[in-house]
Amino acid sequence: MTELLVAQTTTVESIRPAAVLVIPILAMGLIFLSKNRPNVREAWSILAAISMFAIVASMVPGVLDGTVYETDFGAFVGLGDETIDLALQADALGMVFALVSSGLYVLTAIYSIGYMRGHHEPFQTRFFAMLCASVGAALGVAFAANIFVLLVFYEVLTLATYPLVAHDESAEARTSGYKYLAYALSGGLAVFGGMVAVFWLAGDISFTRGGIEGLATLAEDDPWAARAAFALLAGGFAVKAGVMPVHAWLPSAMVAPTPVSGLLHAVAVVKAGAFGVARTVIDVFGPETVAEIGMGTPLAILAGATIIISSLFALRQDNLKARLAYSTIAQLSYIVLGLSLLTQMGLMGGLLHIPAHAFAKLTLFLCAGALYVQLDVKYISEMPGIGRRMPITMSAFAVGSFSMAGIPILAGFVSKWHIMWGGAEAGNLFVPVVLIASGALNVAYFWPIIYTAFFETPDDHGGKPVLEHPFGGTPIKSLQYRPDGGHAGDGHDDDGDAHDDGHGHGHVELPPSDGWDRPAGRLSETTLLMLVPLMSTATLVLLFGIAPDHMVFFDLIQGIVENAGEVSS
Amino acid sequence: MDQYEWFVAAIVLLPLLTAAIPVAAGLRWKNVGWSFAATILSVTLALAVTVAWMIHENGPIHYELAGVEVPFGIELYADEFSMLVVLLTLLIALGVLVYTRIGGPRGNSFYAGFLLLNGGMYGVVITGDIFNLYVFLEIMAISSYALVSSSKYRWSTYAAFKYLLVGTVGASFYLLGVALTLAATGTLTMHELPELIAEAGYTDPVVITAFVLMGVGLAIKIALFPVHTWLADAHASAPDGISAVISALMPAVAVYAFARVIYTVFTPEFLDANPTVAQLLLVGALLSLYAGSFFALLQDHIKLVLAYSTVSQFGIILTGIAVANETALFGSMLQIFGHGIVKASLFILAGMFALRFGGIRTVDEYAGLAKRAPIMAGAFAVLGVAMIGLPPTVGFVGKWYIALGAFEEGLWLVSALVLASTLLSAGYILPFINRIYFHPFEGEDVDRASITHGMLIVIVIGATIGLTLGFFSAEIQGILESAVEDMVV
Repeated sequence: MTELLVAQTTTVESIRPAAVLVIPILAMGLIFLSKNRPNVREAWSILAAISMFAIVASMVPGVLDGTVYETDFGAFVGLGDETIDLALQADALGMVFALVSSGLYVLTAIYSIGYMRGHHEPFQTRFFAMLCASVGAALGVAFAANIFVLLVFYEVLTLATYPLVAHDESAEARTSGYKYLAYALSGGLAVFGGMVAVFWLAGDISFTRGGIEGLATLAEDDPWAARAAFALLAGGFAVKAGVMPVHAWLPSAMVAPTPVSGLLHAVAVVKAGAFGVARTVIDVFGPETVAEIGMGTPLAILAGATIIISSLFALRQDNLKARLAYSTIAQLSYIVLGLSLLTQMGLMGGLLHIPAHAFAKLTLFLCAGALYVQLDVKYISEMPGIGRRMPITMSAFAVGSFSMAGIPILAGFVSKWHIMWGGAEAGNLFVPVVLIASGALNVAYFWPIIYTAFFETPDDHGGKPVLEHPFGGTPIKSLQYRPDGGHAGDGHDDDGDAHDDGHGHGHVELPPSDGWDRPAGRLSETTLLMLVPLMSTATLVLLFGIAPDHMVFFDLIQGIVENAGEVSS
Repeated sequence: MDQYEWFVAAIVLLPLLTAAIPVAAGLRWKNVGWSFAATILSVTLALAVTVAWMIHENGPIHYELAGVEVPFGIELYADEFSMLVVLLTLLIALGVLVYTRIGGPRGNSFYAGFLLLNGGMYGVVITGDIFNLYVFLEIMAISSYALVSSSKYRWSTYAAFKYLLVGTVGASFYLLGVALTLAATGTLTMHELPELIAEAGYTDPVVITAFVLMGVGLAIKIALFPVHTWLADAHASAPDGISAVISALMPAVAVYAFARVIYTVFTPEFLDANPTVAQLLLVGALLSLYAGSFFALLQDHIKLVLAYSTVSQFGIILTGIAVANETALFGSMLQIFGHGIVKASLFILAGMFALRFGGIRTVDEYAGLAKRAPIMAGAFAVLGVAMIGLPPTVGFVGKWYIALGAFEEGLWLVSALVLASTLLSAGYILPFINRIYFHPFEGEDVDRASITHGMLIVIVIGATIGLTLGFFSAEIQGILESAVEDMVV
């Protein structure tokens, strides 16, 4: 069966991977041109989203049959006889990422309209244009046929996201933007270095399922060179994947508008990093070679440590988006952990976690954005009894957070199960332990939110966050640094003027002392433009949890994993 | 085709010989200089394109001026690499002319100097003789001293004087090197020198001293660290259009001359025989790369930032030359071209911003310009990214070749350093882009009408080249391949 699959992989010339990337360029131009007519502008952005998704989806049946669609624009850079082509290819692995990004972009584009208008955000034209460009760049990352092209889109993605992070042009936004650029550009450079090394050592940097041929021999001759190259590539990608200790940009980037935090900082940008790690493990080195040079274990340790530590950080966040950000850091490392196990089930789990986490985390962010736009709620301590005011939103939030914790019949369980299985297959007991501990921590930081929303009232609540003081004792001075950055005194650090700091949780405005009102009608708790997308993503979480093997991702990923195992063994 | 070989000479002689005409014409007509210079340079461009095509079809051209044979005659030599630099120079000179028509300076004597400067640069590139190279270097330098002082700031006289002193010292070093070479070999013709130098012995002290002297002289002209000091003053006070030439072209021409001296005259075997010299060259280049970047980080005046960035960029280019293999050398050629276009466009842009918004120069004054001048701001952002060298711009591709070339030689530390310098470049360019886009506009829109469509077209073309040239690097490599092989082998 597996051999058949390998034999069936055929490459077909097709314009479609390139067409997907032309759309965002056109759409950007159109969006800028229609900047004075918001309705037309948003129509372009939705049209672009739908057509991108449609083209990506149209390639799915072919890819499932083992076809690889390729657009080759000829040599990009050359070196004597060898050239690196400017080539795009839609293979199974790329399709997984492309489907997730382009599909969720459709929902986010709709949601953004509600969010940006509801919140009267400035610079909306730039926002929609750059959002479109960022998704385009993410699709370029997905469809890149070699490291060079991937790096090109990876850097374009960095640059296109910067205006979104610095969106509101405040001092804090600009600082976060710089921080983001500094981290992402350094990561890109590491990838660049790794690419130069691989190209020179192996003579080829085209992605090959199961590993580039020259690298396996190289790994035998000179394991340290191979290790260095792997460390540069995986390390560079890990920056965007938020693996500790290079995660610090992600919580600060939460200053961006919520749709950006949702689509880019939980799906497209950070998954581009995780996807890069996947390409490195599966298509550059191949699981066998990675195992041979012994780089799986260090990566797994990093990922495992990130999962636990960032979950601990998440416990202490009162800002809802910051808590979600630390949760993202932890969840991204699930993917890296799954990949670093180098077993079939581990790879499968890691890759399954790309869509699973995307659906759930986007749901959570969309809910957080809806709360913010509708009720100006940013902090968990402001949320007691909010389930009464926004029942659908908070139910979706509950679904998303249970999926994060890996509760069965939700998406998170499917991937987590495979990663655990992979850990067992690798004979590594610490993997299930880490995952179970992380699940417990997930419950610990998500349950209080759900509890306070549905089961507490404004006059009678326990105060959030449950865990307030730094680990290891109360600081003596109020301005002592916390281990996760920032000062002990600034629980509400990013909203200094609206809330009076130092009074802890004594906000006068929120939650209202006479309790939340019920919404006027069944679907009127917020605008439908926001409600429908978040309900859709919550539904996706459920569907993926109940019938994973009926979702296209499962088959795609199974194909990848079987090929990866087959070629390298 | 042979009957057209004199075109090569015409490229050099046309601007040189006609340089005096604007001054003479100025007696009768006012402001004839601009149109005259534009006409002459356009004709030269047509000639250069023809010659480039001839070279592409038939290979390099050796042309003896007026048929007098070497060693008495003057030999000109042009291959693909020369034509790359000549075309770059011409394109930028024409772009600068578009800017100076409104942006100034005006006056016939300015354009006379400009033509002389151009003629000198083409001479340096096309000459086949190390002494004539000196002559053309001096023509180029002296006319540039005059142009720097043509600015309306009084301080420019001082800057031009400093530039003159340092430049003359550099030229003298070079000339001494030429004299020693002549003493050791008895000839000045480039294509005869490699054999004779080999006969004299690569480790002969006279040969080594000659190389070092020529190298130091050219390093001053390129403005490498630590002999870059004239550059900042000259830039700060020169007219903006001239800054573009000083920063983008004169170092490029000088680095071209250096590459010729290393590869065509002394040959890579000389470097192999003298590893210390080769290493010093490499260390000097890397030092320049980092020192230039650090100085640029300390500035907040746009022209100084760009000037020091030139020091660092030529550090990269020289690194590629010093690595001395085909990949790295091609990377340097690409970088010369790409950097030239990008840096010249940035200087012209800086001039345009100053024209329109009342002489703004510092980072803070650049706040919010995107709201008033979206096209200029967009071009600045694209060019800035190309300057930093992020993909897919030309700067990135150039760095890729240089880093890869260094890696091939086993100099992985060099390639790591070249890559890491990207972060420093980002550090000095991004604050400008950030101000332009993410700060509120605080200045005043003084003179909107001063920005002509021509200027906008020029910078948009510059930005487009900077953004897309990288995609054609494989084709460019195909064209330059024979020149690169001739030089390295």
